[in-house]
Amino acid sequence: MTTKDCTELYRKWQQELAERLAKTPERKQRFATSSDIEIDPLYVPDQIDDAYMEKIGFPGQYPYTRGVQPNMYRGRLWTMRQYAGFGSAEETNKRFRYLLEQGQTGLSVAFDLPTQIGYDSDHPMAAGEVGKVGVAIDSLEDMETLLAGIPLDKVSTSMTINAPASVLLAMYIAVAEKQGVPSEKLSGTIQNDILKEYIARGTYIFPPKPSMRLITDIFGYCAKHVPKWNTISISGYHIREAGSTAVQEVAFTLADGIAYVEAALQAGLDIDQFAPQLSFFFNGHNHFFEEIAKFRAARRMWARLMRERYGAKNPKSWQFRVHTQTGGSTLTAQQPDNNIVRVTIQALAAVLGGTQSLHTNSRDEALALPTEESARIALRTQQIIAFESGVTDTVDPLAGSYYVEYLTDQIESRALEYLEKIEQMGGAVAAVEAGYMQREIQKQAYETQRKIESGEEKVVGMNCFQLENEPQPELLRVDPALGRKQKERLDALRTRRDNLAVEQTLNQLKAGAEGTENLMPLILECVRSYATIGEICGVLREVFGEYRAV
Amino acid sequence: MERTIRVLVAKPGLDGHDRGALVVAQALRDEGMEVVYTGLRQTPAQIVNAAIQEDVDVIGLSCLSGAHNELFPEVVRLLREQGADDILVIGGGVIPQEDIPYLKSQGIAEVFTPGTPTRVTADFIRSHVKRKRMSLQPAPNKIAHIGIAVKSLDDALPFYTEQLGLPLLGAEEVASEQVRVAFLGIGESRIELLEPLGPDSPIARFIEKRGEGIHHIALDVDDVNERLLRLRENGVPLIHETAKPGAHGAQIAFLHPKGAHGVLYELCQAPKASASKEETAHE
Repeated sequence: MTTKDCTELYRKWQQELAERLAKTPERKQRFATSSDIEIDPLYVPDQIDDAYMEKIGFPGQYPYTRGVQPNMYRGRLWTMRQYAGFGSAEETNKRFRYLLEQGQTGLSVAFDLPTQIGYDSDHPMAAGEVGKVGVAIDSLEDMETLLAGIPLDKVSTSMTINAPASVLLAMYIAVAEKQGVPSEKLSGTIQNDILKEYIARGTYIFPPKPSMRLITDIFGYCAKHVPKWNTISISGYHIREAGSTAVQEVAFTLADGIAYVEAALQAGLDIDQFAPQLSFFFNGHNHFFEEIAKFRAARRMWARLMRERYGAKNPKSWQFRVHTQTGGSTLTAQQPDNNIVRVTIQALAAVLGGTQSLHTNSRDEALALPTEESARIALRTQQIIAFESGVTDTVDPLAGSYYVEYLTDQIESRALEYLEKIEQMGGAVAAVEAGYMQREIQKQAYETQRKIESGEEKVVGMNCFQLENEPQPELLRVDPALGRKQKERLDALRTRRDNLAVEQTLNQLKAGAEGTENLMPLILECVRSYATIGEICGVLREVFGEYRAV
Repeated sequence: MERTIRVLVAKPGLDGHDRGALVVAQALRDEGMEVVYTGLRQTPAQIVNAAIQEDVDVIGLSCLSGAHNELFPEVVRLLREQGADDILVIGGGVIPQEDIPYLKSQGIAEVFTPGTPTRVTADFIRSHVKRKRMSLQPAPNKIAHIGIAVKSLDDALPFYTEQLGLPLLGAEEVASEQVRVAFLGIGESRIELLEPLGPDSPIARFIEKRGEGIHHIALDVDDVNERLLRLRENGVPLIHETAKPGAHGAQIAFLHPKGAHGVLYELCQAPKASASKEETAHE
């Protein structure tokens, strides 16, 4: 594959790239191997024919099989975005600043379960859960502490929040306001993917219909006021974690994506208005080549859906931009240092697959939230791949591999079969309500367990190469008094704030929820008046009801 | 026929990870147990209510959110409060080793951490439910008597009454067992000497095979037939399926020695009338 024999199309692509580089230069003047072999941005077959253009094409061009950006990591590395959060807003703020100091390039916030499920820290259902799997955020006050000293015009933040995503987004916007940063400048993501909550993750609050309404309200609001924000992170990660295959991960994620697009169109939004702000979230799993192929297949599939089926005109609407997290469920409690190796392989696959941002799990994943040291090693894993391995020096290096192209095609065709089936059921929402995805996933999870227990599937250190006496690693513990401390802060807040104003904003929200107006401005008002997440979601629970699983 | 083991798999608290719970539930079903899964977001009170309503032997609690130290002991506490603490409670999820001693001290029988084969969990449940079912009943009250086979009561009695100085409480014929028995008092128990009435008496055959000596141990219980039912359920081999009349108007039944490691046990249920009156009458 030499650049001497290139065709017109490739020359055109090169020209476009050169124009782009004039504005944004690459990370290095020249890329070369240790033997000083110069590395081109892209390698292509000697003959670029229609088949190649249709299925593979060029990076940064429809159908984006080879990547969403034209020169990928030569221009800019993926964002190293480590999911973090535990205990109080203070502790998490400290961990954020540590990770940013250590070279992390974007924030990713983990919230505790009461926050994710719209309960204040003093709610009975919150007992034992406050601060355990993420940071406890009850009000704007906590959010201010969480983001203290972090310039929101410079740092992009991803928030893993779903049912109450509108509330946390509103809090983020309100904190930025206080920093003097207008919402138009904010960049980040809210996960905001309720369908996968019903399918695999379990932190839903309201039933599907009102949940979709909240989601499309966010799409509409952000299109106008927070244009650089990813309004949703349509997720396959959790579906895979719950036990699905790679094909199911792609299929169910895209099916959910289709459902969100349909909902937004139904709500009267224009496809090119909201589609550029849709993003995705995939798992970085064990089977190295299948994972690389999975990313490529998904990009091609989404681009085709958006352009062919929905007639989107803006190229940004066709782009499958993805964040990846390495698969937590693949990591073992036994011999935890082995997990560092697993994560490395999984991260490398995601990079070769062309992910836009990446979270690498810590070695103590199966035991507890990460210690500082474990979190640091996880970040170093990305940095070593980025700076020492050379895989970033050219785009989509595995293109043209007989194996990888075959896997890409197979994943696409099998996923399309699933999409067809879900279509016949009436779409993802109907399929979820019928429990279809859940059953498919559960079947697969059981099959995997059976294979592991029979030894057919090997897990090093767990069902082979075990250790007699495992040493006890040091683990992170969350302050058990946190629940009480949060309750005290809540009591103080409720005394300090203007409760009349709170009541007013909550009443306005209730009226809005009963109608059809966009709820984001109303939620913003509630948040600014220091209404708590429990109070805001309490109102919405009243109006929308709660979801009951089948 | 053993009663099928019934298990409640439960997700206490807000944790939404149910892959493990679903896999364990299905695995236990494949192992022949009846399993009810509660679904997500159960309070400890809801779990305990469900467990009692569903009449389960075991509750399996799954928690990956780190709330196990608060939620698991609360389930045990509520079970005790409701007098249902015969239900076995086990747990699993993301639970650090160092938390397990505390959980056990709070009544969680075992914690199954990541990597545990489902078979191990199933085996644990089986062996512990079996044990619990047996110990569900109160233990026997005391040793009612030790039965000793002798060729002749007249020949044997002097050793007991003169050499050991035990009081002879009485003697009678028990035609159904083809024996003549003599009772000697010792503490709260008796020594029962058994003399065969004829060559076909089981005692005659016993003496022929093994000579004179200890024949059986009788345990005083309040409910022979109840116990026999339970024992049969648990697969313990019996000689008598239901109680029959024994000496002193008692209801008795023998268990098979092969289930008791070579010892012949008798269950002995004293008649309603106070035994002591009859003793005095015989003296």
